[in-house]
Amino acid sequence: MAAQKSYSLPSFMNSDSSLPWLLPLITMLIVFAIIPFFYNIYLSFHEFVPAKRALLFVGWDNWIRLFTDGVFWGSLKVSLYYTFMCLLIQLVLGMGIALLIDSDDPGFGIIRSILTLTLVIPPAIAGMIFLIMEDANYGLIPWLLKSVGLIGPEDTILADPTLALWGVMIVDIWQWTPFMVLILVAGLRSLPSEPFESAVIDGARPFQVFRRLTLPMLHKVIAVAILIRGIDLWRMVDYVFVLTSGGPGTATYTLSLYSWQRFTFVQWGYGATISLFSLIVILIVGNAFIHFAKVKW
Amino acid sequence: MNKVLKQVLGWFIAAIFFFPIYFWITVSIKKDKDIFALPPKLFDFEVSFAAYEEVFGISRFLYVEDMGAVRPGGGDFYMMPNLVDSIIIALGSTGIAMLISILAAYSLSRLPIRGQQHFMGWILSTRMMPPVAVAIPMFFIYKNIGLMDTHLGIIIIHALMNLPLAVLLMKSFFDDIPKDIDEAALLDGATRFFVFWRLVVPLAIGGIAATAVLCFIFSWTEFIFVLMLTQTGLKTIPVVSTSFVTSTGTAWDNMAALGTAAIIPAFIFILLVQRHLVRGLTLGSVKQ
Repeated sequence: MAAQKSYSLPSFMNSDSSLPWLLPLITMLIVFAIIPFFYNIYLSFHEFVPAKRALLFVGWDNWIRLFTDGVFWGSLKVSLYYTFMCLLIQLVLGMGIALLIDSDDPGFGIIRSILTLTLVIPPAIAGMIFLIMEDANYGLIPWLLKSVGLIGPEDTILADPTLALWGVMIVDIWQWTPFMVLILVAGLRSLPSEPFESAVIDGARPFQVFRRLTLPMLHKVIAVAILIRGIDLWRMVDYVFVLTSGGPGTATYTLSLYSWQRFTFVQWGYGATISLFSLIVILIVGNAFIHFAKVKW
Repeated sequence: MNKVLKQVLGWFIAAIFFFPIYFWITVSIKKDKDIFALPPKLFDFEVSFAAYEEVFGISRFLYVEDMGAVRPGGGDFYMMPNLVDSIIIALGSTGIAMLISILAAYSLSRLPIRGQQHFMGWILSTRMMPPVAVAIPMFFIYKNIGLMDTHLGIIIIHALMNLPLAVLLMKSFFDDIPKDIDEAALLDGATRFFVFWRLVVPLAIGGIAATAVLCFIFSWTEFIFVLMLTQTGLKTIPVVSTSFVTSTGTAWDNMAALGTAAIIPAFIFILLVQRHLVRGLTLGSVKQ
């Protein structure tokens, strides 16, 4: 231990107290997470008044406006629908694919590698990829749907009030189903093989094995995947921004996009109020999920 | 299930997920007439690298001739400065996030902390914050302290964004290293910092590399903070790529060239740390 002298320089770091080690992290979290949180609360009771060119105290006005604003309720519905449907589809699809490619046969390693690729594409660029593929005039997907007669010759995807949201969701499903697949495959691989072997000997059918053995043993992995994916689905803004900007009309406004849009219209207080609402919802739901699903870090 | 059928299905699924990427890459090397062709030309198109020349200014270095002919949007598509911005921000924020998180994760893994579960819960809650809910207040704070529109401002906010991931992930890597190593060295008279820096960090170097790669990628792909906290000073690739869509048309080939250039390095990085990918995506809670 001759070399240790030269490392005694930051002597405060040699204590067995954890505070010096955590100090940079705590500072960072206070300055850039706690302060913005309270600043957001402050903003939600203020609004920029163009006539006076100033941010003035408006009491509960923003919150009253929030609960009486039809666009807000619409965007809340879109956010909930988007989060729930994408989560469900990604989980089911992910589980199916995971069961299929959980194999040591040659080739499946490469298949898993290919599936990791979508995860590192910037979501804004993933949106662009589907923007050209869903283009009304020369897009691949509408052309395909038209040739098999699923939509009429004059129909579009992103300009259609009912189809537009699915046009956005398909990007999310494409980009993040592999996320579920990889996590579930890792979960499947970590399961012990004995219970499955004895189940087969006992004559259990594949579906029974899945229901009674695989699912219960994977519950922790599934819970973590749902938590992380759920958070990110709720926060999503890149895809709608790129593909529809909330349109047609307000059909694809999510809470985050609506908040951003109000912000750009210099309704700073109201924008902050929407984002604060979205934040409070995810903090409550997320922490409740962690508690009840017994997710541990 | 039949082994052959499993192989066929597996490759079919991989092909479906890879197809949009392939399609995007072909757009970057197609000419306009092939981009807009229906039925789509997937293999038999004329190859052209004009979009790459324009986006990366290759012609600017080779000859003086102006490439800025009339294009959809009529803009200048020279994107090198934005690529540099992206690299500076991703490297800077990764550096800061790693420095802070390695220190914090070591103590979370090794030292007694009162209320550790609550502290971890707090870190996790930070991960839940919608970017918009952070960016709106940050907009005003940055305006006041002069960090608006600066590299440093974005570096700090991206570092913050990556901290929950980095701390929790590094803690899980440190937890894998037996605590006996620390105890034995401390008994021999080594200092805490020596143990940390000379014994534990070298053993965790693979985990540190994987964490850094993930931080880099998440900063590289981040959109909304850069959109809201910059004006004219800098733009990263994801944000600037939206500027190709204009009311007079879209320069698809240029956009695809920039997009392709932005995703290929990320592909290489992620394949290098594939072993730790699932652990990273689950913030250290699911191990491969």
